[in-house]
Amino acid sequence: MEQFIISPSSGIPIYKQLYSQIERMVLNGYFSVDQRLPSVRQVASDLDVNPMTVSKAYGLLEERGYLTRLRGKGMVVTARDDEVLQQEKLTMLDEMIKELLAQAKQMGISDDKVVQMINRNVANKQDETVGKE
Amino acid sequence: MTCIVNVKGLTKSYKNQSVLKGLSWEIEPGDVVGLLGKNGAGKSTLLKSLLNISDIDSGEISIFGEQYNQLSSKNKARIGYVPQENDEISWLSVNDLINFRKQFYSTWSDEKVTELISRWEIDATKKIAELSPGQVQRVLIILALAPMPDLLIFDEPAASLDPAGRRDFLKEILTLVSDENITVIFSTHITSDLERIANKVAILDRGKICYFNGLDVTKESVVQLIVHCKKEQDITIPYLLRGKVHSQGQYGVVSQLDQVWLAEMKEQAVEVTINPMGLEDIFLELTA
Repeated sequence: MEQFIISPSSGIPIYKQLYSQIERMVLNGYFSVDQRLPSVRQVASDLDVNPMTVSKAYGLLEERGYLTRLRGKGMVVTARDDEVLQQEKLTMLDEMIKELLAQAKQMGISDDKVVQMINRNVANKQDETVGKE
Repeated sequence: MTCIVNVKGLTKSYKNQSVLKGLSWEIEPGDVVGLLGKNGAGKSTLLKSLLNISDIDSGEISIFGEQYNQLSSKNKARIGYVPQENDEISWLSVNDLINFRKQFYSTWSDEKVTELISRWEIDATKKIAELSPGQVQRVLIILALAPMPDLLIFDEPAASLDPAGRRDFLKEILTLVSDENITVIFSTHITSDLERIANKVAILDRGKICYFNGLDVTKESVVQLIVHCKKEQDITIPYLLRGKVHSQGQYGVVSQLDQVWLAEMKEQAVEVTINPMGLEDIFLELTA
């Protein structure tokens, strides 16, 4: 049984929390193509939330092409072109980078500095890998 | 869509204190509505008025499309109510009380009663007066659920239940919501319960339903904003509930997020940070 984690008292609506978790789980391969997701009822009962909330998240994931509703089977992960999938992953990372830059700006740290820091991290990681070999 | 509950211009005062001041409210089938309000806002008065337990001064109320004080017995049996305080005959045993109440309903489910009594570990041979407040509340909930109602009205249902009891009660309501498509109205102080099970939130303040909207929409529109601008930039935040101007910009809480305004800000290269808020904070902001 897949366990999702939600915080009901957060300012982010529960359906959105579920949406982003499942989106990520599809993109990182936790849910594989054609895999069936737990039923709305099951998720609602596990998390003690209104089933409408879960339906809303599933509906949105269907709309955005992550899930397909199969008759009598519920929701399964949609099979998609590698290209499309790659694009989705890049879009997600892009959002994270935008957020990172916005946070940095608030702290008064320049975009150039952030790029420098990313490069340094990449370099450090490569050093570690070389060291291990 | 026909409304399950329709209230228009409801007024009610106690002696010379006016509690409900021309309140209007519409509840649609399948809604699970959480009713929030400060102490003394009139939540219990409102719920009791719907049920014709408390007299009203003026206004119209219809339930299932019928006038509230002339409900057919068939429609009366479709309503389950759990009061804030126990008003049941306390010298009866749980069993006797259940059998007494059962006579009034044709749709009574013995199965539901047996299941809940055993799940909630209630000794049905005990008198109501011998039970703890939490157990009494559970019995009241069982009495309300047993006739398999279409409309459930709870007045602070979870007030005397411990966290585990509360969670189990929520589970039961959620099962009913998914299986039977019932409509639920419940008043509460515990916003986290509301956040789990309600799809709509209503706020009773100064005698009226001052706010009634979807819970998700509420969390997406009532937000904190930080506008990163210079003091000399004359920026007015729309739908501002409360705000402050700092040297670094403006801080504010809005009741609605104006997308047109946001686009304008972006055009002017003014950065706006949006911070969502939990329901408790939203409630405090909207009733401040």
